[in-house]
Amino acid sequence: MTSGQQLFADALTSCRLWRVWTFLGGQDIKTRFRRSFIGPLWILLNLGLFVGGAGVVYGVMFGQPMREFLPFVITGVVIWGFLLSSFTEAGGAFVGAEGYIKQFSYPKQIYLLRALVTYSIVLLIGFCAVILMQIVIGGFEATGWLLAIPGLALLVIAALAHITISAYVGTRFRDWPHALAGLLQVIFFVTPIMYPIKLLQAKHLDFVYKLNPLYYLVDIVRHPILTGSFAPTENYGFALVYILLIWIIAIFVARKLDNRLVFLL
Amino acid sequence: MTDLGIHLADVGIRFEGQRDSGGIKDWIVSRFAGPKSVSDRYSVDALHNLNLSIGHGERVGLIGLNGAGKSTLLKVMARIYPPTSGTATVRGHVCPMFEFATGFEMNQSGRDNIRIRGLLLGMSPAEIEEKLPEIAEFTELGEFLDYPVRTYSAGMFVRLAFAVSTSINPEILLIDEVMGAGDIKFAGKAKRRMFEFMEQGKVLVFASHSPDLLRSFCKRSIWLDAGSIRMDGDTDDVLDCYTRTNQSAP
Repeated sequence: MTSGQQLFADALTSCRLWRVWTFLGGQDIKTRFRRSFIGPLWILLNLGLFVGGAGVVYGVMFGQPMREFLPFVITGVVIWGFLLSSFTEAGGAFVGAEGYIKQFSYPKQIYLLRALVTYSIVLLIGFCAVILMQIVIGGFEATGWLLAIPGLALLVIAALAHITISAYVGTRFRDWPHALAGLLQVIFFVTPIMYPIKLLQAKHLDFVYKLNPLYYLVDIVRHPILTGSFAPTENYGFALVYILLIWIIAIFVARKLDNRLVFLL
Repeated sequence: MTDLGIHLADVGIRFEGQRDSGGIKDWIVSRFAGPKSVSDRYSVDALHNLNLSIGHGERVGLIGLNGAGKSTLLKVMARIYPPTSGTATVRGHVCPMFEFATGFEMNQSGRDNIRIRGLLLGMSPAEIEEKLPEIAEFTELGEFLDYPVRTYSAGMFVRLAFAVSTSINPEILLIDEVMGAGDIKFAGKAKRRMFEFMEQGKVLVFASHSPDLLRSFCKRSIWLDAGSIRMDGDTDDVLDCYTRTNQSAP
């Protein structure tokens, strides 16, 4: 087991090296779209297709007013994509950096932050799609976006814990990202992203979202963006509790595997 | 920082693993199979109970047969391998020069790879931009620097990595047998640059199989044998013993 003190020192050093991981993260985005004709526009295009297809069908199916429902779906999908990356893609954060980890002396945690930077950039591009839609069909409110910042901060803090857990566990068990991808697909359909919570409430299925911590993480960002006011206070509270618990797990996993990590690569 | 140095106390490195891939399947099986599955595990003691102190201004050579633990020891000093027993204290900025064939972003240009490598070796972005023309010049890769490195040949990777690694100001320089990089033309140039670079290192630990190089750079040498220090002392004495022992063997 690595001592907490050692881990803390490494984490501090990693933060000081922000130039390194922000650069690496930016490069990852560049790599992702290098040799593609329209580059990051693919993110917008894919979102448009998804919302235009699935969003419209679900909207009709659930009898939702489109002007409210489409921005709701696109915002949820963008945030979900970020969460999904922090669970599944992050499983390869250390594995993909093997060449660096075995050769350079910097603390390994910089590769976690690099992953966070990459996923955050994709999230921001996704938000551009949301703003675009809000401008086109109406409902854009700058205050809403400002009020989303506290929720966004919590979301990012939670995502870093997910990345930490997935990166360490994914190095130890290479099956991890695959297993998680299947599980998260199920969670996607039981999390109110493609349908509003009203529908669950009407069927007395409140527990489906109330017991789902990811719902709170999504809602504290989505609610202000869509409505221009803070999400219900208890949602921030539940998100905080979840963050506390997930970070305890993350630190436990990191302490357990940090020293062995380089030997597992 | 004035008191640079490396102190190893009772350092041991044990590699452990499973003969199988060690995936989730094996893990679950091992939970149920009980102690019988132990035979499937292996462990290798790469280093045992090493005690070693290298101070400011020292240049130390490492010699030993293949598999004696030279590279492992260098990786401990570089803080890449955390010791599985004992403690390793390293004060100073470490510049490792271990391998020039890995750690590239294949889809990015040579120039961007220079930037990444520079950052990971501890250069600041401004410093990198300042040194970039000189590094680019040294690699002699010309327009290839704008191509993604996946189009590079093995020799071109070496040139790129070598040029970046030797452009920094090292405090603690750890070198693992990297002489003879590239073709005849480049090798000569590389050798000269390497010598200059090694002169700059305030602490140098240098693993090599070449007695001449060790004699010209290191006053002190350490002979590693099967993960332990067999001899530690004046380079000439250590090299004499080392060659005598290993050449007399049938």
